[in-house]
Amino acid sequence: MLVFRRSRRAVGFVMRAARCAVLPALTCVSVAHAGPASASDPILQTEENDIATLPAIGPHVVFIEDPVYRHAKDGRVLIVDADQGRLLGMVQAAYNANFVAERATGAIHVAETTWAHGNRGKRYDLLAGYDPKALTVTTDIELPGRALVTPKKPNMALSANDSRIYIGDMSPTNGVHVLEAKTGKLLGTIDTPGCALVYPWGGTGFSSVCADGSLVNVDSADVAKPAVTHTPSFFAPDRDPVFEHSPEVAADGHVPFISFSGLVYDAALGGTPTIAAPWSIEQAAGMKPASDSRAPFEVTWRPGGWQLAALHRADNTLYVLMHKGTFWTHKDSGTEIWVFDLHAHKLLRRLHLARPSAMVGVTQDSKPLLFTTDDDGDLFIADAQTGQVKRTMKHLGDSLVFTVAGGE
Amino acid sequence: MPRSEFQSLSFDGLTERLARGVARSASRRGVLAWVGLVAGAIPAFPLLPVRRAEAASAKPQSPFAASAQTKDQNACDYWRYCAIDGNLCSTCGGGVHTCPPGTAPSPTSWIGTCFNPQDTKSYLIAYRDCCGQDACDAGATCLNTDGDLPSYRPQANNDIIWCFGTTSAMYNCSTAVIVGTAE
Repeated sequence: MLVFRRSRRAVGFVMRAARCAVLPALTCVSVAHAGPASASDPILQTEENDIATLPAIGPHVVFIEDPVYRHAKDGRVLIVDADQGRLLGMVQAAYNANFVAERATGAIHVAETTWAHGNRGKRYDLLAGYDPKALTVTTDIELPGRALVTPKKPNMALSANDSRIYIGDMSPTNGVHVLEAKTGKLLGTIDTPGCALVYPWGGTGFSSVCADGSLVNVDSADVAKPAVTHTPSFFAPDRDPVFEHSPEVAADGHVPFISFSGLVYDAALGGTPTIAAPWSIEQAAGMKPASDSRAPFEVTWRPGGWQLAALHRADNTLYVLMHKGTFWTHKDSGTEIWVFDLHAHKLLRRLHLARPSAMVGVTQDSKPLLFTTDDDGDLFIADAQTGQVKRTMKHLGDSLVFTVAGGE
Repeated sequence: MPRSEFQSLSFDGLTERLARGVARSASRRGVLAWVGLVAGAIPAFPLLPVRRAEAASAKPQSPFAASAQTKDQNACDYWRYCAIDGNLCSTCGGGVHTCPPGTAPSPTSWIGTCFNPQDTKSYLIAYRDCCGQDACDAGATCLNTDGDLPSYRPQANNDIIWCFGTTSAMYNCSTAVIVGTAE
């Protein structure tokens, strides 16, 4: 398109020059003001369109979900080089879509929903797999269904060895579709009545959170006959539920479940999960623990946002968006990020945010970058150690809701 | 918290057992049909009381209720929007309980309990989405979270696209329908 415009401009100049030869001086003056090329300028070479490819997906390449809430059938996944602050590409991710990125290759898989005639007609729930270099579609299959919910990372997951994709369903009973990542083949659907979300562990396992505050744990090695266990309830959903966006990295089963009041239940998921006694992030910061729903008016520091927490696996550090508010402000944007040592239950540092953010993400390398956003869809790329913003991508999207960094 | 304590919460326990029983014994399409039938029949049945303790008090029980207003249905702090998440149908060509033309109300919903400062009573509010057109981005968009629980408690979650049972599950806006008093 750009080349075409340049060609038209060149033709226009030739025509103006020809007109100058026969029309009064005024016309010629205007041509002179337009700044015609001098005889010494080289003639631009003709060009052909080509197509860029993505670089190898390193730890500082980040995939970002933008559901474009204002017209949600036009969602997308954006791919950003965080070292350059440059958009590398995007793929369509229609209507409250979700995605995962293979850790080894960076290939992404998008679960999305479309209708045959735009907003009507036959509904299609789809899983599209993309080539990690060309972003061309490699697999494109119809799903039996999927949960339509504002996009949350744990509604879709990838097994530790990148071989299996799990997609949460709610139509309206809860279940998880298990698919082969390489081919998109549906291996089966496992019902998880009364439980939602997918936190993967190992090559074939996942856990879901249940309505009574327990976990259901599923080993889907044999999808037709999954091995299912239940934990006792470990939190009170009515009083102090755990956030759905409690973070996990690389399907290693380590999930610090964070409650609305700021209690952290460190869980090692598996067939028989272990869940440590909770600790309070406010207490770790030298304050008294925040109240739960039985004392909703108490104003104090609380966790909140959408992707409200991120985990750096190697350092075992937990990044949590914090704001001051009452109970039931669990979706309020954070004005600070508090960074904790997950082993020591110790506050390491508090990072002030110039713009409140509902999303925090972190890369998994030894010089991690931190991602936040704001209401304008800007992306802020900061040093995770100091919180200093290194790059800002203005209005990268409409609503940036969660990130998946390369290898995460 | 030990599991037995939850099981002693009789309503929750009963609901969960019922849900699990249905899930074990019914197909997905069968459950859809069952939900549709129940949802259609809801107006004919008395509503179950929710949060009796809250209703028993004339004082606002949440920070939202303490500052809610009763005059402007197009503003996010209107009292019955205490748990609404999305576009207000009242600013999209519909009303507080009316879907805009070209959309249809879902027979399913999530439920909030909102305090009306004018009569100092608490009401059960069904947040029924209007579906069939893409998001009404021209209207007011609100994110209120009184009593909003995660999606593993779907009946109290405002992130789910509550368009089950409509011709198209494309979300346009949300209504807030009084379905009973919480007393």
